[in-house]
Amino acid sequence: MWKFIVRRLLITLPQIVLLSVLVFLMAQMMPGDALTGQVDPNVSPEIKEQIRERLGLNNPWYVQYSDWVTGIAQGDFGQSFRFKMPVTELLGQRLANTFWLSLVTLIFTYIIAIPLGITSGRYNDTLLDQAITGYTYLGFATPLFIFALVMVWVFGYQLGWFPTSGSVQPGLTPGSMDYVISKFKHLLLPALSMALIATVSTVQYLRSEIVDTKQKDFIITARAKGASESRVYNRHILRNSLLPIAAFFGWEITSLISGTIFIEQIFGYPGMGALFLETILLRDYSVVTALVLLFGTASILGALLSDIILSLVDPRIRIK
Amino acid sequence: MGFLDVEDLKIHFPIKGGILNRTVGHIKAVDGVSFSVEQGKTYGLVGESGSGKTTTGRAIIGLNDITSGRILFEGTDITSKKSKTKDVKKDIQMIFQDPYSSLNPRKRVLDVIAEPLRNFEKLSKQEEKKRVQELLELVGLSPESILKYPHEFSGGQRQRIGVARAIALKPKLIIADEPVSALDVSVQAQVLNFMQDIQKELNLTYLFISHDLGIVKHMCDEIAIMYKGRYVEQGTKEDIFNRPQHIYTKRLIAAIPDINPRNRAEQFKFRKEVQREYEHSYDDYFDKEGLAYGLHPVSETHLVALPGKG
Amino acid sequence: MEINNRIVGDQTKSPSAMLILWRELVRDKLALLSLIFLVLVTVTVFGVSMILDQKEIVRVDLFAINEPPSDEFILGTDYGGRDVFGQLIIGTRNSLWIGFLVTLLSGIIGVTYGLVAGYFGGHIDNVMMRILDFFLILPFIMIIIVFVSIVPSYNTFTFSLIMTAFSWMGIARLIRSKALQEKELDYAQASKTLGTSNFKIIFTQVLPNITSLIIVTMTLNLAANIGLESGLSFLGFGFPESTPSLGTLLSYARNPQTLEFRWWIWAPAAVLILVLMLAVRNVGEALRRATDARQRRG
Repeated sequence: MWKFIVRRLLITLPQIVLLSVLVFLMAQMMPGDALTGQVDPNVSPEIKEQIRERLGLNNPWYVQYSDWVTGIAQGDFGQSFRFKMPVTELLGQRLANTFWLSLVTLIFTYIIAIPLGITSGRYNDTLLDQAITGYTYLGFATPLFIFALVMVWVFGYQLGWFPTSGSVQPGLTPGSMDYVISKFKHLLLPALSMALIATVSTVQYLRSEIVDTKQKDFIITARAKGASESRVYNRHILRNSLLPIAAFFGWEITSLISGTIFIEQIFGYPGMGALFLETILLRDYSVVTALVLLFGTASILGALLSDIILSLVDPRIRIK
Repeated sequence: MGFLDVEDLKIHFPIKGGILNRTVGHIKAVDGVSFSVEQGKTYGLVGESGSGKTTTGRAIIGLNDITSGRILFEGTDITSKKSKTKDVKKDIQMIFQDPYSSLNPRKRVLDVIAEPLRNFEKLSKQEEKKRVQELLELVGLSPESILKYPHEFSGGQRQRIGVARAIALKPKLIIADEPVSALDVSVQAQVLNFMQDIQKELNLTYLFISHDLGIVKHMCDEIAIMYKGRYVEQGTKEDIFNRPQHIYTKRLIAAIPDINPRNRAEQFKFRKEVQREYEHSYDDYFDKEGLAYGLHPVSETHLVALPGKG
Repeated sequence: MEINNRIVGDQTKSPSAMLILWRELVRDKLALLSLIFLVLVTVTVFGVSMILDQKEIVRVDLFAINEPPSDEFILGTDYGGRDVFGQLIIGTRNSLWIGFLVTLLSGIIGVTYGLVAGYFGGHIDNVMMRILDFFLILPFIMIIIVFVSIVPSYNTFTFSLIMTAFSWMGIARLIRSKALQEKELDYAQASKTLGTSNFKIIFTQVLPNITSLIIVTMTLNLAANIGLESGLSFLGFGFPESTPSLGTLLSYARNPQTLEFRWWIWAPAAVLILVLMLAVRNVGEALRRATDARQRRG
């Protein structure tokens, strides 16, 4: 057990290092450097050169890389030249919004997936199962952003049930009840849109897992011993099928990230995904680099977490 | 210097484990095996599954890595994969156990049999076709079937195609890995007899790997019994069947079914006896790990693994 | 490989992968309809767009801005007075074209990568799979967007290369696990003993045995790549407006005014993408059933 976790950690570390190198190289390829936009364009080239020298921008790339990594380790992602504030501060504002959006999405994903998957698996090949399978089939084929566009068009614009942009109604005091309710109202539609699409793979997994388990010998034995149908499902089948699902959320992080980029754009939701698109259009590359690095690390750690949880739940995984 | 000499062959497979996936131990699939085969003869390797007989055969042709030991073919060292020159590769061929998976289902018979020819001989399309048709005829199949696919043949016919492929380059040594065990009993004898015919015709040497003592008795001149990667007993056909020395060999021979119902009671008694002896004297024949001891000669041709009493 | 169809009396034909897939497709009514639909759409958009003048369509006409559907403009015009219907035709062609291209390129890379890793196994496989895992874990949409915005000479070709760079992993992984099984089969081992080189075994012996898997996976990838292109174009990091695609039409909907009041600009493209992706998936799923004998309907 511990061996697996240590081995898995040993894979994670190089992944993060590789990611940082990749991001650093991307940053080097981006036009301009930390100096661009920070100094007055009228400053003479000699003085600029002096500043570059002082900031270490003329050092060989590996020295620059280690400086950059050291900075990040201390929470310093540099300056955003468009927003005129440290990147760390800028991110802090958006991070909370994206965090809540992702969390609510994950919760919805499971709330939808578990009953649908169980129903579909338990009563497989019934009309109900066919309806659910049909939904997952459509869900797989539907691009998230089109679905979200339709959702916001129908429920936001045509029916007017939900706000169509922002994360909270302006003018409310943070902490008040109204504020929280407003926040939730802004979250609901985007999170639901994302969850309805993201959930289909979990539904499908759960269904096939239950259908498979149903035919296993130990289930037949349990039935033969006279266990009631509900006992068979609750004690035997679900225990085997639900636990792996719990581990999925880590892997969902990668798809959640690409999801938030689309969703935040469509719903005008001020999160990290929207910030990413804004800053890349503004060519504010220090923010872009920080975001890629953060999202990348989140994906790597998510996968790590999922692998570890799954190895606890399912011993077969450990013998890889 | 013999035709094929195997000296102290060891093949160990690493067991991976631990945090860094290091090698923590070894499975000794073949653990110190030596023998030599004379040209034109059939040498039988017998053992239960997992005894290392197939691994030995595959190592000789280069499908398994060799841990230590030497393999000499006509006096030249062919132990490492690199030392297997084109000529050596041509001279040693193999017949596989499963005629269903050993022929590529997507290739026509022509392509299957021509594969070795294309690798070693530059033939024109016409010559190649002619050669393949000759080979098909030689193995008793219709030369018209060159454009068929393997699935259109029966198991016995497929194995004949496998033999045709193996003899296409006129090899000297053929490693036959349980060539008939996947076939129906009724077809087995056919294929075996046909293999013997071909042997005479082309002066082939067989390394015949099998778990079936009956077939081995039918085919082989010399026989070796393997158990857990080691030799238990080696000798001529007469040595092994008439004068088995090791308890494991005796047990195997006792297990050969006798079709004559009159001998049933006798056979039963004999088996009981062997079984009793096996249980009683197991420790005399196997060391603490349950492995066979080193080989000691009991006659000029006959070697038996006995504890160091000589 | 199970023995699928015996064609007795016809010695020149084998139950080739293609043939089996084709038969299954014809049996499955929905998949057949989908295939016919796809072929029709492809032929139509490629044919019609040869008549249409792309420059004419994307030329800004300030006198015909945001017009609703009319006799002159079947699907109205966008904010630049450009004919939406014409854009839809050319856009579908561009989307399909890049979808095919990326699927093909990533297919070639992925199949080769998977075959090499699976066939050689051991350390080579280990290292190659670690690299693949890394690619798989990256938030690839973000990285594609970054590359799209910093690549010096950005055009359709570089765009498809960037997309390819992040869409070969799925098929590589599938092919690798299949190759891992295939190389242990006796026919591959037999080829070794017959003196056939490793690369020849990989590409002439193993490859023909996994064609059906490749066809199925690439069909499903086509749907995914069309989706990826339209998504990126929607965000503004795919095709520019001067090269319409289904995604650029949808990207007009990023403007709330357009989204709320001018459905004719984006809705047809949205519907078309949905139908296309469903059709491709129908075909792909039918093919997948065909490769899995247990699920075959015939």
